[in-house]
Amino acid sequence: MQKNNNQMIKVENISKVYSGETVLQIDDLTITEGESFGLVGNNGAGKTTLFSLFLDLIKPSSGRIISKDIIVSESEAWKPFTSSFIDESFLIGYLTPEEYFYFIGELRGQNKADIDDFLLQFEDLFNGEILNQKKYLRDLSKGNQKKVGIVAALIGNPEVIILDEPFANLDPTTQIRLKKLLNQIVEEQNTTLLISSHDLMHIIEVCKRIVVLEDGKIVKDTLTGETTLQELKTYFGD
Amino acid sequence: MIKRLITLEWKQFFRSKALGQSLAIKILIGFLALYFIGSFLLLGLGAYFLLEETFPGEDPLKIVNSYLLFWFAVDLTYRFFLQKLPVMNIQPLMILPIHRNAIIHYLLGKTTFSFYNLLPLFFFVPFSVVLIGQGYPIINVIPWFLAMMFFELSINYLNFLVNKINVVFYVVLVLLLSLAGLEYYGVVDVTGASEYFFNRIYEVPYTFLIPLLLAVLLYRRNFDFLRKGFYLDDQISEGVTEAKTNELNWLDRFGEVAVFLKNDIRLISRNKRPKQILIMSVFFLFYGVIFFPQDMYSESYTWLIFASLFITGGFLMTFGQLVPSWDSEYYKLLMSQNIPYKKYLESKWYLMVVATLISLILSTPYLYFGWKIFSLIAVGGLFNIGLNSHITLWAGALNRIPVELNVKAKAFSNTQGFNITQMLFVLPKIALPVLLFYIPYMISGFTAGIVVLAIVSMMGIIFKDFFLAQIEKVYQKGKYKTIEAYAEKQ
Repeated sequence: MQKNNNQMIKVENISKVYSGETVLQIDDLTITEGESFGLVGNNGAGKTTLFSLFLDLIKPSSGRIISKDIIVSESEAWKPFTSSFIDESFLIGYLTPEEYFYFIGELRGQNKADIDDFLLQFEDLFNGEILNQKKYLRDLSKGNQKKVGIVAALIGNPEVIILDEPFANLDPTTQIRLKKLLNQIVEEQNTTLLISSHDLMHIIEVCKRIVVLEDGKIVKDTLTGETTLQELKTYFGD
Repeated sequence: MIKRLITLEWKQFFRSKALGQSLAIKILIGFLALYFIGSFLLLGLGAYFLLEETFPGEDPLKIVNSYLLFWFAVDLTYRFFLQKLPVMNIQPLMILPIHRNAIIHYLLGKTTFSFYNLLPLFFFVPFSVVLIGQGYPIINVIPWFLAMMFFELSINYLNFLVNKINVVFYVVLVLLLSLAGLEYYGVVDVTGASEYFFNRIYEVPYTFLIPLLLAVLLYRRNFDFLRKGFYLDDQISEGVTEAKTNELNWLDRFGEVAVFLKNDIRLISRNKRPKQILIMSVFFLFYGVIFFPQDMYSESYTWLIFASLFITGGFLMTFGQLVPSWDSEYYKLLMSQNIPYKKYLESKWYLMVVATLISLILSTPYLYFGWKIFSLIAVGGLFNIGLNSHITLWAGALNRIPVELNVKAKAFSNTQGFNITQMLFVLPKIALPVLLFYIPYMISGFTAGIVVLAIVSMMGIIFKDFFLAQIEKVYQKGKYKTIEAYAEKQ
């Protein structure tokens, strides 16, 4: 499918300093519309920090992030076209999965019927453990909670989807299904997908572009090709 | 071992994020503490002479003794609301080679030195010294003093049981209310009984062993209770409750805020902590029963307005003051989803308004006390809706203490959503309407006071959008700090 090269997210001289220590420093990074963008790095490399900055959950120490011409720390106008799942604090524990989906749906202009319809395609992924279980989200297992969070982030055809560590905590079957699902979304819709992962295999299979963070800096920025996995493995010390 | 536990606690306290943000409040609380210490000290020094002068010919000690039962009752009450239970994160300690008993002894022992136990010393020490100075035999005074201290300790430990086990709370509440009632209607002479009891303790020195025994027993009871709760599965295996779905479609008439209102109704009905708070707010409805029948209060408009505000404002003051902490568990979601901040605040506003209106309807039986009092209640309700709702939301922006929603009486955590910081925010909600009533009242009478209060409240409602927009700005400004603080618990 033909992808246009419109810029979607632009990072300008962004930095985050916690008590004198710079944990993130990115001078220039542009993510184009429809790109599947993978963020790789060891613990503490700054992946979640960068994603949190995209979502204006933490305050940049300097610089700014522009999402579709909107400076995210100055206006809320990026919210309608951006959705995300970072961690369990994105779930409302006392709702059932259905209620949670309807809630997110209402926020994104989808009524109950739309959501019911939308959820049909995830039957495989849910594996009969999510819907109609008469359980609140807080009582689901970590893996199932994650599924709910990821699916909820897909509601309402957002233009930007940000998922932090989507593959962690999932069983192998679900990981494979999720990979398929994410590939499908990127290919069929013009969605910009940003994910991070510790699992090099998974992220290469989903993302067309891989960026490696180390100590808060971009040390590698590459399009995925046949040698990418080997390159990354070498980089991370294999 | 104990030393290491203290170090842990020290670090937890000084490294928590809530600390730095509320220095001003800490200073205010410091002053408050100093004020109480000063008052108790003066009372301790002067009580004897004051009583001697007011009731000539009577033994001041006996008078004090006759009211001691109430002293302890009041003591227990304010401890119930204010004294925080020992909170400690036990999970990481459980797998370490530390004796469970050591941890529990440490936790309980720590409470012995709390401010609430030290404060009575400032009364009883000078009072006892004065007694000795006035020629009361040391052999009696010292044991009496010790007995008082042991009673305080007993209250201290009793409070934890009352806090942890709801049944105990209701038993104690019923007991206290019936005692007060019996005394009021003269059925039983409680003060007489109190005087007799504490005089015996004074006269028979070794009886101070009774409260000592009591304190030890209550300590044991607490210890056993905590020991039993010292397992992880106590917290997780609580049994998964079957989810009940409710569409709540009737809320759709509220338009855009309906989606939030639905969530809030579910928040309240499905979580233990908000449920507790809701029950507490119902008790507020009965505030008037205490104040209105008594001449001492019914003559003073200050007290009447105070009571009126509380009757209708129970939910607003208890639930409202914890906005936005109620949503702390998923605050990041709310901040990154397609939610305008203002809609979120507006839904909380509606919730408080509806609750206040319901309270107002439920308070119609107060018509029994006459139109004058009911008009105060009505205008108090109006003020709660018009202005206190905004003040509550505004104060919420400074509230950065995360709330664990579905945590009931867990053995090692504080179950009361109540602390002094939040109490302080109640002051403007009370003082402002009293002031707004009094100024016109002084100038041209009762009706003028009511009218001014009503007008000001209406302004609050009319300019709701303006106020909410201003409040939104405050929230936006503190957004990052709030997110950070709420993430701390998770």
